[in-house]
Amino acid sequence: MKKNDIYLICIILIAAVGLVIFMRIWQRTNDSDSARAVVTIDGQEYGTYPLNKNITEKITQENGEYNLLQIRDGYVEVLEASCRDKICVNHKHIHYQGETIVCLPNKVVVEIVGGEENDIDGATH
Amino acid sequence: MKKWKNALIAAVAIVVVSAVALYLNQLKTNRQPKLTKYTATFLDIFDTRTEILGYAETKEEFSEQAALLKERLVFYNKLYDIYNDYEDVANIKTINDNAGIAPVSVDPEIIELIDFSKRMYEETDGRVNIAMGAVLSIWHEYREYGSENPESATLPKIEELQEAAKHTNIEDVIIDRDAGTVFLADPEMSLDVGSTGKGYAVQRVMEYAREQGLSHVLLSLGGNISGIDGRIDGTNFKLAIQNPDLNSNEEYIEMVEITDGQCVVSSGDYQRFYVVDGEVYCHIINPDTLFPANTFAAVSLITDDSGEADAFSTAIYNMTLEEGLAFVNSREGLEAMWVYHDGSKVYSDHFEESIVE
Repeated sequence: MKKNDIYLICIILIAAVGLVIFMRIWQRTNDSDSARAVVTIDGQEYGTYPLNKNITEKITQENGEYNLLQIRDGYVEVLEASCRDKICVNHKHIHYQGETIVCLPNKVVVEIVGGEENDIDGATH
Repeated sequence: MKKWKNALIAAVAIVVVSAVALYLNQLKTNRQPKLTKYTATFLDIFDTRTEILGYAETKEEFSEQAALLKERLVFYNKLYDIYNDYEDVANIKTINDNAGIAPVSVDPEIIELIDFSKRMYEETDGRVNIAMGAVLSIWHEYREYGSENPESATLPKIEELQEAAKHTNIEDVIIDRDAGTVFLADPEMSLDVGSTGKGYAVQRVMEYAREQGLSHVLLSLGGNISGIDGRIDGTNFKLAIQNPDLNSNEEYIEMVEITDGQCVVSSGDYQRFYVVDGEVYCHIINPDTLFPANTFAAVSLITDDSGEADAFSTAIYNMTLEEGLAFVNSREGLEAMWVYHDGSKVYSDHFEESIVE
């Protein structure tokens, strides 16, 4: 075997291992690292916001109602809202997959999709 | 020439290795049908929030299951509605509108609910009374007005409530099973199924889910939570009980596990209420005093029938601790936790067996 052949085999092996690692990482990124807050109004999707970006977003509706959403350090909360009961504003911040903040009067649901799981299946209200 | 040959071999080798790697990767993912946990939230049923948790291979498959349950919930919502009319169906409001006038032909599921509610009346010594509509509607009006206009919120006069309480005799709710009708004999009376309708609907929908062959399902209707099986990995569903103290940093006061067919329900003064002169008045009205109960911040129940859970939690919220403990501990499969406004807790005999860290 020539020296070049050995180089070639090495390159092929490295390429193959690299490819497998790349695919694993790619899969994982798509599975869970993409935690985001999905906002729906009356069942219609309004917007999606990644948890890894700090933002403050005013969710406004045609009828003038609004909920002020804040994402900070991966946690989502409603800072202000036009609804009368303020249950969404009083709600603790959410972070884990499947957690929701609901504003019944404004028909707004903020749900965490993807990301870490917190081991709770449901909660009484 | 040799250079080209080598390059060709290299190219072929990379393609072959890639193909094998891809194949192995696929094999790993497909080894078992991968069931993913999904949740669906609806806001348009029973004036509360509905959450369905289930497992499926695809989002579409889960959505089909959730839609099946939602359809049934909407059906019960229409039947048990006391505020709205629907073109295609006679409901509780139709019965109320015909009080003292005529018997109303209704769906068998309304007769079943009323029958069930009458049984709950007997089992709770009248603490759960669906014939209390006349009293509850007065509180409903004051509460709605008081929530919209906090500065001018007032309490109903006791005379007004006592007058309405004369028209709350459950014996005046007349069921004719053969004719399939319900008639309110007292023209001044009305039904309010707030203490039984939701829980009974959840119970019936879960029975329907089992008939449809669904497994590993958790249904939560405004915090009335029922489970079929448990998690897909064989462990129990784990539920959090909300802290009635909304100003506390602790969101939950307890974590519990439920086994197949069990359910958890909480009644409390922290969700639907209004404030008059700094005092909180909740939506649960004690039939004896005609005023909101306020001994406890919340009562949480674990049992195996969602309908009973709903009714019993209302009844126990209206009882003293001693009465409640005697009631719960004398019934098999019923456990409760009482939470006082200072955050202290009292458990029934076996409640703590369901608590998890």
